[in-house]
Amino acid sequence: MAPSIHIRDLRFAWPGQVAPCLTLSALDVGQGEQVFIQGESGAGKSTLLNLIGGVVMPREGRIQILGQPLDALSAPARDRFRVDHIGFIFQQFNLLPYLSALDNVLLPCRFSTTRARRAGARPVEAAQRLLDALEVDAGDAARPASTLSVGQQQRVAAARALIGRPELILADEPTSALDPRRQDAFLALLGKEVAVHGSSLVLVSHDPRLASRFDRCITL
Amino acid sequence: MKTLLPLAWASAWNRRLSLTLAALSIALAVALLLSVTRAREAAQTHFAQSVAGVDLVMGPRGSPVQLLLHAVFHLGDASHTLAWKSYQTLAADPLIAWSLPLALGDSHRGFPVLGSTPEFFRHLGNSEQNSLPFADGEPFSGLFEAVIGAEVAARLGYRTGQQITLQHGASHLDAHHHDEDSTHPEHADKPFRIVGVLAPTGTPMDRTLVVSLQALEAIHLDWQGGMPMPGLSIPAEAAGKFDLTPKHLNAVLIGLHQRTDVFRVQRQINAFGGEPLMAILPGLAMDELWQLMGSVERTLHGLAWLVMAAGLAGLVAVIVASLGERRRELAILRSVGAGRRHLVGLLVLEGALVTVAGIALGVVVVEAAGHLLAPWLRARLGLELSGAALSMAALRILGAVLATGIAASLVPAWRASRMALADGLLPRL
Repeated sequence: MAPSIHIRDLRFAWPGQVAPCLTLSALDVGQGEQVFIQGESGAGKSTLLNLIGGVVMPREGRIQILGQPLDALSAPARDRFRVDHIGFIFQQFNLLPYLSALDNVLLPCRFSTTRARRAGARPVEAAQRLLDALEVDAGDAARPASTLSVGQQQRVAAARALIGRPELILADEPTSALDPRRQDAFLALLGKEVAVHGSSLVLVSHDPRLASRFDRCITL
Repeated sequence: MKTLLPLAWASAWNRRLSLTLAALSIALAVALLLSVTRAREAAQTHFAQSVAGVDLVMGPRGSPVQLLLHAVFHLGDASHTLAWKSYQTLAADPLIAWSLPLALGDSHRGFPVLGSTPEFFRHLGNSEQNSLPFADGEPFSGLFEAVIGAEVAARLGYRTGQQITLQHGASHLDAHHHDEDSTHPEHADKPFRIVGVLAPTGTPMDRTLVVSLQALEAIHLDWQGGMPMPGLSIPAEAAGKFDLTPKHLNAVLIGLHQRTDVFRVQRQINAFGGEPLMAILPGLAMDELWQLMGSVERTLHGLAWLVMAAGLAGLVAVIVASLGERRRELAILRSVGAGRRHLVGLLVLEGALVTVAGIALGVVVVEAAGHLLAPWLRARLGLELSGAALSMAALRILGAVLATGIAASLVPAWRASRMALADGLLPRL
């Protein structure tokens, strides 16, 4: 089975930059593996996620996701590939404030028939199950996302990343807006659900304390 | 589309205040455009009604538009005349079903006075009726009797039985602002009694007074060169003893048995040997008149489109300004699978939604205003707003507005897709 992520000899610079802001000789993440990537601010963590998501393309190097070389895909095809196979969780402000938590969770199913199909016959029920598993009760699920607490928002974002069983979950500092006790609870829930779904998880953070929960730890 | 519409709606609703303002400015422009179009259509119908039933207008040779202004709108100084004898010769043609001799020249408090025959009321009408309906009274039969139009009655508060005097000289559109027009001498010695009031018709008849041709002769018996003859005064009672056969006419309205004979009769009149005459088809002359007024309408339309451009520029400005705050939103959409085409679609949909809302609001405003103002327009201007709420012309305009709105939304859409591309999944705020 193809690894979730396979990267070789990566060099990337934003337009206008001369020195590359990210160089990575090799990164491999296997199916179902939970990997922690630790890096200081400015080490290129977010850039790496953009690269893996196929939102930006590297100047040099190879990126294969689930065996698919990203540079072989056109921009619209990369957009489709991303939503079909990858779920994202960001630091904060993950949700569209004008949609309910439930509708936020269902967003990937709107844009991807693959995700909608894998979410089952009734994606709404799948979304409710996920929210339930992540301890967002039904009353909160119906409320506009902007009225939820930061902790709830992060769990809603996790549910959205997981819906439709994407093979890969990418999380960018998902706990930095939470206090330490809630950080731990969130990571425990996330790790459990990712394992249940059989997805791979790549979590990037500056905070080395989070590393203990992961199969493997990489420093950028 | 099914994916994007609920999203576009939810996102737009989230910013409803600024977008409502943009929609309002579009609604205003739509209302203006539709009003101009509707007024044009109403005026056109009104024009067409004014000549309903008349096949030919005969008059002294000259400008067809001027003859039309005299004969149908009763406007202007009709200095050219045709002889009564010529009229009698030509009207005897068996192809002619009826003919109405018309004489102009006098007025009453700014409203034109038309001299004709009692048959006048039988043959003229509007598109619905073949005769002029009376609100009160009946056609004149006696010498010094007058029938007045609906607007004349309403403005001056006249009823049947009242006495009025005519002024010498043609009416001018602004004359009724100064009531006793000192430039026009009065026919004070020969007052008329109002015997009939016409129902509103939406034609120039609403602002006209009609008397018999003989009466016009009678009040000018002791006049010469537009002034009373000094030392000569013929009392009204004596006027009947004179020969009151009119000598001059300004125009003749003609109805034919067969409309297909219209060109034959026209040729005969144009070729008449007695004096230079012409016959015009009122519809054609009306089109010519309409073209003269077309530039006014085009100017109004141009202005309305300028207002529309301002409204759409406002829409684009509102959406572009919102993009700054929406970078996060766009990035989130990208991360859950929205491609560039989705973002473009979303913003174009938003522009289209606002434009549609503006159009709907504008239509409602025009319809409501139409309903509220219809009685006033009919009474004051004789304009009848057409029954069809949205004519083909109006629908074409609305279609053009929507297309322009969508095209304008491509500006923010293009910007958003550029921004989303530069930002990636994490806007660097």
